[in-house]
Amino acid sequence: MTLFKKVWRTPVVTEPLTPAVESAQIEITARRIDESARRLFGRSLHIREVDAGSCNGCEIEISALNNPYYDLERFGLHFVASPRHADCLLVTGPVTRNMADPLRRTYEATPDPKLVVAVGDCARDCGIFAGAYGVHGPVSAVVPVDVTIAGCPPTPRMILSGILAALQMREQRPEDPKHQ
Amino acid sequence: MTVNQSLMLNLFTGMLASFAVGAAGALLSGRWPRASRWIGHSFALIGGLFALSLGLGGLLGGVLSLSITQLLPVGGMGLGVDRLSAFFILVVGVAAVPSALYAIGYTREYERRHSIAGMGVSLNLFLASMALVVMARNALTFLALWETMSLASYFLVMTENDRETERAGWLYFVMTHAGFACLLGGFLLLSAATGSMDFAGWQAGAAAVAGPTRAVVFVLLAAGFGSKAGLIPLHIWLPRAHPAAPSHVSALMSGAMIKLGVYGLVRVGFDWLGAGPSWWGGALMVVGAVSAVLGVLYAMVDSDLKRLLAYSSVENVGIILLGLGAAMLFQTYHLPALAALALLASLYHTLNHAVFKSLLFMVAGAVLYSAHTRNMEEMGGLIKRMPQTAVFFLVGSVAIAALPPFNGFISEWITFQSLLLSFQIPDKAVNLTLALSVAALALTSGLAAACFIKAFGISFLALPRSEPVRHAREVGLAMRSAMALLTLACLVLGVAPFVVLRFLSKTTAELLGATPDMQFSWSQLVAGGSFATVSPLWIALALVALLASIPLALRIFRANTARRYYETWGCGRAVQTARFEYTAASFANPFKRVFSILYKPVKELAIEFHPESRFFVRTISYRNDARSIFDESIYGPLNRALRSFAQRVRLLQSGNVNIYLLYILIALVALLIIAR
Repeated sequence: MTLFKKVWRTPVVTEPLTPAVESAQIEITARRIDESARRLFGRSLHIREVDAGSCNGCEIEISALNNPYYDLERFGLHFVASPRHADCLLVTGPVTRNMADPLRRTYEATPDPKLVVAVGDCARDCGIFAGAYGVHGPVSAVVPVDVTIAGCPPTPRMILSGILAALQMREQRPEDPKHQ
Repeated sequence: MTVNQSLMLNLFTGMLASFAVGAAGALLSGRWPRASRWIGHSFALIGGLFALSLGLGGLLGGVLSLSITQLLPVGGMGLGVDRLSAFFILVVGVAAVPSALYAIGYTREYERRHSIAGMGVSLNLFLASMALVVMARNALTFLALWETMSLASYFLVMTENDRETERAGWLYFVMTHAGFACLLGGFLLLSAATGSMDFAGWQAGAAAVAGPTRAVVFVLLAAGFGSKAGLIPLHIWLPRAHPAAPSHVSALMSGAMIKLGVYGLVRVGFDWLGAGPSWWGGALMVVGAVSAVLGVLYAMVDSDLKRLLAYSSVENVGIILLGLGAAMLFQTYHLPALAALALLASLYHTLNHAVFKSLLFMVAGAVLYSAHTRNMEEMGGLIKRMPQTAVFFLVGSVAIAALPPFNGFISEWITFQSLLLSFQIPDKAVNLTLALSVAALALTSGLAAACFIKAFGISFLALPRSEPVRHAREVGLAMRSAMALLTLACLVLGVAPFVVLRFLSKTTAELLGATPDMQFSWSQLVAGGSFATVSPLWIALALVALLASIPLALRIFRANTARRYYETWGCGRAVQTARFEYTAASFANPFKRVFSILYKPVKELAIEFHPESRFFVRTISYRNDARSIFDESIYGPLNRALRSFAQRVRLLQSGNVNIYLLYILIALVALLIIAR
């Protein structure tokens, strides 16, 4: 009963969405990702996120891709629960000693053809964690990387652009020896 | 084709002679276990073949009538074969032939440990009494053979004489005799009311019997036959006796013996008592629906493979009863064609269940034979070690889950149609009952599919969960060929049901005086005029074509079919062992939660910490058992009441001779007063 009372008495609080220039940009980028993925894989893009030792700053930005503002699902870009279902790995963080082997296994478990996008400064060159005792190295030291996205953390828009860049690179060179 | 009586008599004599030679041979060669094993089971096999032919002969129209007056008091031994008896002889034969063949290989393990001679004698006696009891034509013959069958099966259950079988055997003994007492009471009442001990006399005189007497007779006989058939709440012996018995005996008990309870119910409802009030059929339907749903729910949560199959037998008898109850209701409302259809469905399911449940029990036995476990939590990966057995189990599972192209689908389809056609009954309450029973049957089918996904998936797929299972090997030729026979039967009965349905419709015609409301040809079955149609053959062909089209489609669309072999994805874990696998208990857990009102699960979580710190755990043990509500709410109080009553009675039994003399005096005086 208290639930109904609360539903009845709580007023609806929303703010009008201010139209941003950015949102048109995002839409264009995401559409191009989808088109490119359909050409490459014959279907929409499925992404598996791997946290290889990140501080979770990049994760917050990545999960923002699924919020109502960016709403990636409307373009057919899905985050999936298993690398078996994925076309693209989104790897964050400096690769820690404990995560090096799981990352390699995840890479192996992803069906070919696949893309690997390293997200954030740490994934690129270990960032501020470089040289720490628990850190194994950047993502490229463990698995072949297609595109690296700089930023600490990169914005969702930058992440989208990075994925698009990876797709376009693969479209230009379909038989990339990197993943063989 | 006509079958004359002398051929039937020859088949009958051949059957009895084989079983007799089998029993005698097994006993005489008892000192040489191997010889005894071969003789006992080979002659049982031959006898089974004779029974099969006798059943077929009877279905083709052969009749047999025998009377040996010297053998038994009160009317002598009366035997006869009509189409219904013939059908059940056929069911016994269908279960007996592969079981005997299987037993030749399976009982090798029993040599030197248990009495092979005893098994041979009991098995032959068991088979003979099962084939004969459906031929009985008077009350005493029936009861004598019924009791022989119960005792023979009791000795078979008790083969592995350990603690588990002792308890199971005792429970079976008590339940079967409680059922026997009910039958005896019913038979005597009916005999007194009709003035005849012959079944023919009952059939003629039953209509004149007063209503209440008929009702009491019906309830007594239904309880007696129901306890043999394993209907809830009289089922409690079944999940204990089946796992305890040797596997070929479980196959026979589940495939054939519990069907004789169904035989009895058919006789009661359509032959001995004739059409009754609507609550007879209604009661059978309610009991059937409860048995079906609860049976499969209990099967779902059990991790003992043979007990799972035993509970599934409860479920299937429930499905058979749904058809049977519907047939009785249709008969009450004078819809003979529909009654025949429902009876046809229930008889066909009886045959089908005999085929696939025998098969499944044999597979469970094969696993037990080569991996020495019945516990599904210890199995896994058997498809790699026993590939043929795995195929047999898969076919049996698909058949029992009522999926095409196998036989379970056909009989459940006909059952569904006969229940759906119940709108022709002009009574709202009955319509509602039948509509609910359709829902119950649908729920049962779905749960049965889930249950056998668990049974197959946990036992045969993934990695072995224990050391003996890792070393399991494929079983011998005798066992495999027995299972292959039944697998083939599942397919044939599912693709070409018209072969059997033609004979069955004559059986129902003989009982009810009407042919079922169904047309069938080699390619399709049409129920209720043009109410529903199914084409088993086309479905089978379509399924094959669909499977074949997958590689073709991949080729046409030029899909990437490159292969790369790598380990199973285990969330990136460094170590993967069988302990990470999905277990039977975890598969069943969602069902346990949803239906917790029925299971009353007991949860126990015990964590032992390190004495120095609570952050270090030494052991964790978790239990989540389902309890049987029947054991607790019906049989527990019953047992306690019986015990306290026995305690009171013991007061009379003081051991003092003087008191006993006093009793005698009191009895004498009382008798003198009463009998003046």
